[in-house]
Amino acid sequence: MASRSVATGRRDLLGRWRVLALLPILLLAGTVSLFAATGSSLVGLIGASPPQPDEFDIRRVEFKAGEIRIRVTNPQRDELTIASVTVDEAIVPFEVDGPATLKRLRSSTIVVRYDWVEDDPISVGVTSSTGIETSQEIAAAVETPGVSGGSILGYGVIGFLVGVVPVAFGLLWLPSLRRAAPNWLAAFMALTGGLLTFLAVEAFSEALELQAGLPSPLGGAGLVLLGFALSYLTLTAISHGLAGRGDASRTRALGGLALATLVAIGIGFHNFGEGLAIGSSFALGELALGTFFIVGFMIHNVTEGLGIAAPAAEEKRSVGIWVLAALALVAGAPAILGAWLGGFLTSDLLGVIFFAAAAGAAAEVVVEVGRFVAGRAPGGLSSPHVLGGFLAGIVVMYVTGLLV
Amino acid sequence: MVGAEVPAPGSPNQLDGLLFPPPALPHEPGRVREYTLTAYDRDIEVAKGVTFPAWTYNGTVPGPVIRATEGDLLRVHFKNAGSHAHTIHFHGIHPADMDGVFEVVERNETFTYEFPARPYGMHLYHCHSTPLKKHIHKGLYGAFIIDPPTPRKPAQELVMVMNGFDTDGDGENNFYTVNGLAFYFAKYPITVKRSQTVRIYLANLTEFDLINSLHLHGEFFRYYPTGSTDFYEYTDTVMLTQGQRGIVEIDFHNKGLFMFHAHQSEFTELGWMGFFDVVD
Repeated sequence: MASRSVATGRRDLLGRWRVLALLPILLLAGTVSLFAATGSSLVGLIGASPPQPDEFDIRRVEFKAGEIRIRVTNPQRDELTIASVTVDEAIVPFEVDGPATLKRLRSSTIVVRYDWVEDDPISVGVTSSTGIETSQEIAAAVETPGVSGGSILGYGVIGFLVGVVPVAFGLLWLPSLRRAAPNWLAAFMALTGGLLTFLAVEAFSEALELQAGLPSPLGGAGLVLLGFALSYLTLTAISHGLAGRGDASRTRALGGLALATLVAIGIGFHNFGEGLAIGSSFALGELALGTFFIVGFMIHNVTEGLGIAAPAAEEKRSVGIWVLAALALVAGAPAILGAWLGGFLTSDLLGVIFFAAAAGAAAEVVVEVGRFVAGRAPGGLSSPHVLGGFLAGIVVMYVTGLLV
Repeated sequence: MVGAEVPAPGSPNQLDGLLFPPPALPHEPGRVREYTLTAYDRDIEVAKGVTFPAWTYNGTVPGPVIRATEGDLLRVHFKNAGSHAHTIHFHGIHPADMDGVFEVVERNETFTYEFPARPYGMHLYHCHSTPLKKHIHKGLYGAFIIDPPTPRKPAQELVMVMNGFDTDGDGENNFYTVNGLAFYFAKYPITVKRSQTVRIYLANLTEFDLINSLHLHGEFFRYYPTGSTDFYEYTDTVMLTQGQRGIVEIDFHNKGLFMFHAHQSEFTELGWMGFFDVVD
């Protein structure tokens, strides 16, 4: 009897604390609605708020035969209406594919029939109903590739060339690495760490740069952190799974094929971002895809294959050709997906998230590689081979990056 | 672009009050001509779907046409119902204290300008408060016609005030118009008779880009600078700086649609373009 009443009492108490936990939220909701109900009269005590800028964000300008398509977004709190459109400072008739009055963060595509001149610079302007014009200069008008068999194949081949091929070539260093002395193998592992660090920093700065171009409510360094944390923590969980298999403390560092897989995943994230950047720059006429560019990327990315091969060389079992092929695909094929996505879609938001994710993934793999090198390398993390290898990884990425 | 497909604001006949001047009255020295102008702040649609927070005389940009005959005593009652201090500065010959420069009219105040109308010709009026550039580009201006003692020969009379609107405040015009609405006369061509002379009282009140022009297609016209003498030029294109004005007389040889526009292509494509529909 007595024990039951104590239990019931405890349950009651627990229930009461749960209700009390809602108190701050209820208070917040109450205060917010009270403030909202007063309208702007409280702010009015200080002074008048400045008007909204009434400027559109021009997200993407595409050129089709006899037609210009302008994708615009309303970046501000108040509604915005598309009233007038200019091309090269001349008012043009237009149609809107979607609503002409846009709510916050909504987008529409403006379609203008226009006989644009190939390779000439051109500017487009969108004026809101309050007369504020947003304009964008395009350095050279070039027909935007549409979704066709040819362009799907083309982007696919480019992604394959800059992603899969060099990684596969780099993996062919595996037999040589298997015969390397332990301290040299450690040096190559450190090189992997160095090149991944380089990729992480590069992707991180790319993500920050891209977010700065987003409409301000969408952007922000927090978005980059979110992408970074998501991939970092996901890879941490995966590597726990691969190494620990139930061993929560996981004192043993990840090595061999498992680590190689992790490195491949990290590089795959990066190549996705790279493909995305190549695809969208090309589609928007900002990039000439010359031979030099492709070759530069291939040389740059060959090092990534070496990075995967180094931990795989530690694997006790023999590594078959199919496993290598799978690793090459994991690391390289995302470049193909990225090129498709960047080539055919408006992808600036995706770009930020994927570059941030690439940074997070690379950073996580650097930690795994570091763990491994610390445990296996003769002389640990501070041996000359490891220090030299790490530095060499950064230098190699920087120097080959100059080719792009 | 002509007719319904033109992205122009307004409705048919909306600009009639500004396009067609009041009739000329016969010479009668000493007759009093009274006008009332009130300054209002008003949001006006200057291009299709685009509003501009204008400062107006009597609610329109340009303001109403003021017309007198040489020798009339002009009495213009000005009331300032706007949010800033304004004046009216007339071009022409008048006493120094009627010049609209020193007698600044504060909000809710009034002032009466009174002077004999002279010399005959096409003139204009505008606010002369400082900052001058702001007060002009916001829309405080209009046409001011003084008829000669000997009447001009009968004609189909039109008034065209060329102007521009900087709707986003960057010091460059987003739209150019005649009589305030971009592309209006392209959407609603001005119908004129071939048998009758067309007389246009033309003025330039464009701010920022100060030079404006009129070019007529398929025809020549007589251009009388300021219209205060008999001197004219026979041409199809005239150029005017801000404040310049004159009288254009056209005798159309052919019927059909004839374009007129600024011969600055940029102005043309930002709204300063229209058509005459010449009929028998």
